[in-house]
Amino acid sequence: MSFRHTMLGAAVCLFIFYLGLLLSLFYFVSGKGFWEVLIHPGTLSAIRLSITAATLATFFAVAIGLPAAYALSRFEFRGKRIIDTFLEIPMIMSPIALGASLLIFFNTPLGEVIQKEGIFFVFEVPGIVLAQFATIAGLATRLIKSSLDEISPRYEAVARSLGSSSWQAFYRITLPLALKGLIASVILCWAKALGEFGATVTLAGAMPGKTETMPIAIFTALASANINKTIVLIIILVFFGLCTLYAVRLTGGRRRYD
Amino acid sequence: MIRIEGLSILFETFKIMGLDITIEEKEFHSLLGPTGCGKTLILESIMGLRKPTKGKIWIGEREVQTLPPERREISYVPQDLALFPHLSVRENIFYGIKARNLDKQDYEDYVQLQIEEMKVGHLLERYPANLSGGEKKRVALLRALASKPKLLLLDEPLSGLDPAIKVEIQQLLKTLHSSFNPTILCVTHDFEEAYFLSDRITIFMDGKAEQVGKKDDIFLEPVSKKVAQFLGARNLYRAKILSKDEFMQRATLEVDGLQFSMPMQLCRDSIEVGKEVDLFIRPEEVMIIRKEKPVKESLKRNILLGKIMDITDKRRYQLINFQTMEGKINIEISIPNYAFRNLDLAIGKIVNVALREESLWVMS
Repeated sequence: MSFRHTMLGAAVCLFIFYLGLLLSLFYFVSGKGFWEVLIHPGTLSAIRLSITAATLATFFAVAIGLPAAYALSRFEFRGKRIIDTFLEIPMIMSPIALGASLLIFFNTPLGEVIQKEGIFFVFEVPGIVLAQFATIAGLATRLIKSSLDEISPRYEAVARSLGSSSWQAFYRITLPLALKGLIASVILCWAKALGEFGATVTLAGAMPGKTETMPIAIFTALASANINKTIVLIIILVFFGLCTLYAVRLTGGRRRYD
Repeated sequence: MIRIEGLSILFETFKIMGLDITIEEKEFHSLLGPTGCGKTLILESIMGLRKPTKGKIWIGEREVQTLPPERREISYVPQDLALFPHLSVRENIFYGIKARNLDKQDYEDYVQLQIEEMKVGHLLERYPANLSGGEKKRVALLRALASKPKLLLLDEPLSGLDPAIKVEIQQLLKTLHSSFNPTILCVTHDFEEAYFLSDRITIFMDGKAEQVGKKDDIFLEPVSKKVAQFLGARNLYRAKILSKDEFMQRATLEVDGLQFSMPMQLCRDSIEVGKEVDLFIRPEEVMIIRKEKPVKESLKRNILLGKIMDITDKRRYQLINFQTMEGKINIEISIPNYAFRNLDLAIGKIVNVALREESLWVMS
């Protein structure tokens, strides 16, 4: 077998593997059964909750991730490497461990004060947002930083010499140049938040109609041997996932000024 | 007038100590130094992007070193130009006017004139990615000049261009300077570029200004062997002062047994008998004497007999490697092509060479 055929064969095998997994789902589900599960209030509630929580978590992650990424990309400061390393904690830590850490934190005196005086997180909807935020904030910062690293700081230097303040240079020059990368980062983080299970179930629990997101609904449906519901939820989740990946591919197209 | 006083920068391996530069209004001033000597750091400090360890910067009577870059009225054209890729050429050009909240109408005529002068009128709706190297340079210059800065900083403005475009942009810079009279500080490592463009030059080496002066003074009268070597000077010799005649104001120098007579005014520092100095013989001021022609009295003081060792065609001139019979000193002589054709020279030929007094320069 030639070199080219070996490499291509591996790619095709992987494709068949994933495609086979997806196609096998349809073996157990009929058109009518699919529709019944889809319009069931519990399913719609899980979809709604997942989308809302993932959107909020992504918003907060980008709101803090963008300035943090800028600082890490542009400035030299003491402790930069330590911060940079800590951003990878969600990537090396199991989601359940992350969720458990959050749960433990809310049992400390500080955590209890936050819960009493501020927002209640444990086994509540804000807990879903927080768990998803904890999972994606580091990733968001890392992805946005990569986009910013590709943009020469020289552009901002010139913009400032031409009369722009550092804020103006950021939003007139750097932000438009990083926009495509930023959008791709947002979409990827949103997709990851949407599929987040471990941290969410640990912190927010799995209460149907209250804290049951799609991945949690899949788990509970499977645990109660409701295969039909499990499959429908998987298909919906995969559909959302593929849509977001396709959107990322679209944003990765050539810029008009390239 | 722009004054930079005692500018000191410590950054990584760079150490710039107490740099002084004064730039007159409308002057084209070049900071000439070898590659990697920290010239760009100096520009960044002047612009306000980097905080110098010490030093003051005045623009006119305004002290600006504590101001942020946007309030210094200094424009900057970096080596990579940094044209904003997401903005059209027109948007790039008017960026400074918009950012400084200047009335666009007040600048319209001025910018239009520059657009015509730089021949970029047909490029206004294009994006930087669709411009050639020369066009990008023009747009970057125009963008920097459009808002009438008090000082324009140019970082290696002619680097990375094809030879033909380089000549064109060089000429354009010259025309722009004479038409619009911006005050310019240009950093470059290319002494030919600096000589062509500048009114005055600061030679910057090893973290300090080695020499400041009018361009002719710099090239004809370098302060040290180091500067002379950097400027591409050939024919540098270690010489000893044998005697001096205060009445005639002349000195006699010796290089490997060969003696030269020269006016004391061509010595940079005081003449002390017995002192060792660096002698610089300018290749373009050395004459090969034709046998049939009478030699002027002033040339007779320094006539050397020797042999042509090598001839190199440098396209615009011929470079002759001449070795004196006495002392076996090698002297490079550059001769214009038309003169070379009349001299009938060949490798191995024995000739007489006369050193014009202007060909000699002594540095301690």
